[in-house]
Amino acid sequence: MRTTLFRIGTPALAIGCLIMIFLIATNHELPAVAWDVILNPANFQSFKILFISIILEAFPFILLGILFSALLQVFVTDELIRRMMPRNPVAGVLVGGLLGIFFPLCECGMIPVVRRLIRKGMPAYIGIVYLLAGPIVNPIVFSSTFMAFRTSSEIAYARMIAAFVIAVLIGLLLSRFMKQSPLRTDGRHAAKGVSHFHHDVNVHAHDHVQPNPHPHNTIYVKKGRIRSKVSSTMSHASEEFFEMGQYLLIGALLTAVIQTVVGRDVLVGFAGEPMFAYPFMMAFAFILSICSTSDAFIAASFNGIFQPGPLLAFLVFGPMVDFKNTLMLMSTFKLRIVALLIALTAVLTVAATLIAEVIL
Amino acid sequence: MTTTQHLIRFLLLAGFAMLIVYLFRTGDMTLFIAPKMELLVKLSAIGLYAAAIYQLYAALKARRKSQAADCDCDHQHSSSRTKNIFVYSLFILPLALGFLTPTGTLGSALAAKKGMSFTGNEMISRSATETSSDPVSLSTKGSSGNNIDNTLNELFPYDEYTVDHARLAKQLYEQPLIVVPESRFIETLTALDLYRDAFMGKEIEISGFIYREEEMGEDRMAISRFAMNCCSADALPYGLMTTWPKANEYAEDDWVKGTGKLAISNYMENEILTVELTKIERIPAPASPYVYPDLEFGS
Repeated sequence: MRTTLFRIGTPALAIGCLIMIFLIATNHELPAVAWDVILNPANFQSFKILFISIILEAFPFILLGILFSALLQVFVTDELIRRMMPRNPVAGVLVGGLLGIFFPLCECGMIPVVRRLIRKGMPAYIGIVYLLAGPIVNPIVFSSTFMAFRTSSEIAYARMIAAFVIAVLIGLLLSRFMKQSPLRTDGRHAAKGVSHFHHDVNVHAHDHVQPNPHPHNTIYVKKGRIRSKVSSTMSHASEEFFEMGQYLLIGALLTAVIQTVVGRDVLVGFAGEPMFAYPFMMAFAFILSICSTSDAFIAASFNGIFQPGPLLAFLVFGPMVDFKNTLMLMSTFKLRIVALLIALTAVLTVAATLIAEVIL
Repeated sequence: MTTTQHLIRFLLLAGFAMLIVYLFRTGDMTLFIAPKMELLVKLSAIGLYAAAIYQLYAALKARRKSQAADCDCDHQHSSSRTKNIFVYSLFILPLALGFLTPTGTLGSALAAKKGMSFTGNEMISRSATETSSDPVSLSTKGSSGNNIDNTLNELFPYDEYTVDHARLAKQLYEQPLIVVPESRFIETLTALDLYRDAFMGKEIEISGFIYREEEMGEDRMAISRFAMNCCSADALPYGLMTTWPKANEYAEDDWVKGTGKLAISNYMENEILTVELTKIERIPAPASPYVYPDLEFGS
């Protein structure tokens, strides 16, 4: 049943996106929107320029993130990371929140790693804090946010702080109240999932150079031949490029369509009402599922239409919880935990960004 | 993964790297991204090439091995075929658009969607200057030579947020003809709007494309530019409203250079800065249609 869920994941995402467009463009009917983009030469031109420019813009950052993630994957053992975890819950939660600074993985690369860490004995709440804060509180995301909001750099700082605070709060709550393991104890996953960096969300994959197909990573890391390490890094990196690239492309496509077709007045209708603006931008981030290394550019394109608060909500909520990583989370964590995480994150994001809006 | 899949990935990765090179070669890259991002995008082309070469290598390897062991990992291959086709066509779309369709520029159609700003940077609010002191009337200017600096300060009151714009405004104020520069397009418009009372009647020259809204009627049009921060997705249109008796002789997206006097007019229940044109001429579209925020501004 779960495999079915993943098999339909991407098409479902696409359909979800289309429905989203439809809902936003309340004045248009869906076919009319499509025709408007394709047939009107000016609109087509705008669409093309926006679509490609978002992709080009995001490439350097997404590549950097992928490279980092692959290098960590191959060269840094879980053992090392685990040994550095403090025993005290509060210290642990704080460290988990800052872990992204030293290990800047993207959210997609992070879930399997965190699961493995938890299985190997890292406290679950620290793993979850890292999962939430890591995609935001890291140097790559900071620099891309800073670049995108060059003229209002306080957004970049506010994003870091808000994400850190939210993740730490959730971590403290979990360390207090979560007694059982949050991981799914599915036999199939236990048998097969652990050994793999890429679990079954992945289409296929793996042609590690090693002939033995299912080793723990550490096994061949210890073998230590530089050539095989480089090769393994490249393999993980290009694997991730396609894994993550598809969400970037869907995100870019949707954003380009929305910007080309939906007028500012419609968005302003949402933007003016905080009641709508916050949920709208968060739902938007959830559905777009763009990698946190590149979502700042999308958010920046809505600068001037939306207030800083809803933009921050977009920037904070999206990387923590979105469509694609909800799918991945459900493969790893119990459904109850996933639902709880999403609800907590949503509530805290609204609270934190409302406060930030007042301060900024 | 099969040989074919590696080859498809090789082609896609190489395709994106070549698209980047192609766009730089044709000079179209400036239509997509800001100059400050160019180096990063060039570097990413190198990364894409490296990944492409790896895929080619993996394809050859997979082909050599294919007789021995088909695939040792027990993933479902066939079931994900539809998904693969979907994913790969997603990657082909931008390549096809980039290579096969001509690139135009952003114009009125998108400006209408994004919402034209007639008042410069909206984050710099006029309220700051309005509350700080009463605008000093022009007649007091130059009553005594020593007082010029003081008078200027009174004309251009500022707080910590508007200090840079006040400085720019003073520079502009001393020019007989204010030419809105490409390098500080937004900053200049913002400064003019911020201290609009001081600039009434000044001569100004501005170049850009024609933007029109229905409500403008027959004798009004805006001369505007897209301001890009990083890439064209974040580009926002900024412009100045102008009046010209035969405005309807100019079509949307025509490039013009207009000269005239600054005034205030009412538009959609807002008082906005307006240029009463005395001269207008058509100009060829510039190589880069965008203007960029001046990062050195205020530092």
